[in-house]
Amino acid sequence: MADTLTREIDEPVAPAAPALVRRERRTPMTYVLRLVAAAYLFFLVAWPVSLVATNTFDDGLGSIRALLEDPDVVVALQLSAYVAFFSVVINTVFGVGMSLLLVRYEFPGKRVLNALLDLPLSVSPIVVGLSLVLVYGGREGWLGPTFASWGFDVIFSAPGIIMATTFVALPLMIRELVPVLEEIGIEQEQAAESLGASAAQRFWRITLPSIKWGIVYGVVLTLARSLGEFGAVKVVSGNVLGQTRTATLVVEEKYLNFDQQGAYATAFLLAMVSVACIVVVAIIRPKNHA
Amino acid sequence: MSIEVSGLNKSFGDFVALQDVSVSLPTGQLTALLGPSGGGKSTLLRIIAGLDKADTGSVTIEGTDATHLPAQKRNVGFVFQHYAVFKHMTVAKNVAFGLEIRKRPKAEIAERVDELLRLVHLSQFAHRLPSQLSGGQRQRMALARALAVEPSVLLLDEPFGALDAKVRKELRDWLRRLHDDVHVTTVFVTHDQEEALEVADEIVVINEGRVEQVGTPDQLYDEPANDFVMSFLGEVTHLAGTAVRPHDIDVATAPLLAGAVEGTVSRMLRVGFEVRLTVLTVGGEEVSVVLTRTHARSLGLEVGATVWLTVTAGATVVPAMRPSLAG
Repeated sequence: MADTLTREIDEPVAPAAPALVRRERRTPMTYVLRLVAAAYLFFLVAWPVSLVATNTFDDGLGSIRALLEDPDVVVALQLSAYVAFFSVVINTVFGVGMSLLLVRYEFPGKRVLNALLDLPLSVSPIVVGLSLVLVYGGREGWLGPTFASWGFDVIFSAPGIIMATTFVALPLMIRELVPVLEEIGIEQEQAAESLGASAAQRFWRITLPSIKWGIVYGVVLTLARSLGEFGAVKVVSGNVLGQTRTATLVVEEKYLNFDQQGAYATAFLLAMVSVACIVVVAIIRPKNHA
Repeated sequence: MSIEVSGLNKSFGDFVALQDVSVSLPTGQLTALLGPSGGGKSTLLRIIAGLDKADTGSVTIEGTDATHLPAQKRNVGFVFQHYAVFKHMTVAKNVAFGLEIRKRPKAEIAERVDELLRLVHLSQFAHRLPSQLSGGQRQRMALARALAVEPSVLLLDEPFGALDAKVRKELRDWLRRLHDDVHVTTVFVTHDQEEALEVADEIVVINEGRVEQVGTPDQLYDEPANDFVMSFLGEVTHLAGTAVRPHDIDVATAPLLAGAVEGTVSRMLRVGFEVRLTVLTVGGEEVSVVLTRTHARSLGLEVGATVWLTVTAGATVVPAMRPSLAG
């Protein structure tokens, strides 16, 4: 094919992020606001959390070691990880589907669905737990006895804990993905379609890579929320030592039994996982996806 | 005929976007769909591409009935106004997309991508991300991406609409030359009559969901089917019940010709070599007249002067049927 462009078209390339724009003039108000923000965060978040860490390491690594040598605690940590894993997987798959549904399609009842999705954030987790017992409870629930007759217990066993955790963490993925999907629009997918891509190819090659960072953030939030879930889990788990007691329940148990050191150590482990997730994402996330 | 559209109707709720549209677009030509914004031209293009569905009517592409064919099976290249680049892929990957979907051998894909990037002058940007390109470069990349799959028709939806005036003009010339080399049947949507007149072999004028006229740029300009086409393709004024171009009016300072309309010069504006007059006729019409500066000077025109206006012999005139569009 011939050379059709006789000379390079002279057009400025979109400039990179403007280099260090000078901030507005600093006034005394700037410092007052900074002080207020710093104090607020310090007294509400930083100080209490750091005290958990210092209390954990009062006698060096002893309390952590003691914790990991207690088989019941190890089972609880494993259960928490197991529950969090399934909650993340389920919420990711349904979260992506629901977000696509909410952003791309118009249907009757869309506003109601949208409002319902915020319910798990607005009701107390205790209510979530109790409502699940009402439906799936082995003796009195609506569906529970039927399941129980098939030899499948929901309440007071792992499925119930997973359901409660998934319920509580449900909106996080969706609320993370909806704005991302709205921003990317559908033109890229239409372009892919006109280039011959099937629906599956469009999803895997265009949609998924475009919302990748939304999903990563959604996973981190869901994971953190799932590991930390307490109220709903307390109601549905039955809190059986070494079987259905999760890490958060261990913290409460140890605290009530005056094993403060153990409680702080477990709390510290839980907090560390969440902090680690957020730090890792902050590091690997490319700069232009601010 | 490469694209055959017949009896197309499309509504969005109460809004009628297309109303019984039938048009044939010839093979190998560069056709413009021209019309004001919201007139339905983009909808027509999207229906041809399969990105929108018509309520009724049929679309045939290269002899195949495509009415119910999904976009992915129509083998059309589509270029969007806002580029629709795949942001997470490099320029080369963007261009290779359609070929990878078609599972072509790697070596062949690499060769074809190379060739296309040379064609659109982006070879040195092959490994950049689209965010590092300018608007014009992105649109050229989008064009290469659409051409990669060797589409039977290439559809461009206001391809240069988002670019600034200078780049738009250069890319428009470039598109014309590219088409002369590649010869793929091309249809582009534009609301810019200058763009259509300059680039297209054939123009379809669309307004309010209907086709107003189909023809070559010369036909449209010289023999407009109606007042709307005439006024859309250039300035129009009204004199004695007819629509006429302002430069096709003769001005005389004495009633020499029968049928000349008497009026008073109410405004006079000099822009470069031309003089624009507004003449208030005795019948109450406001007529715009354009003449050269030399001509105006030789007539000794000034504001308040009495003049007699006639339509130049051989000028394009259309009866003014739609007073609402007078302008």
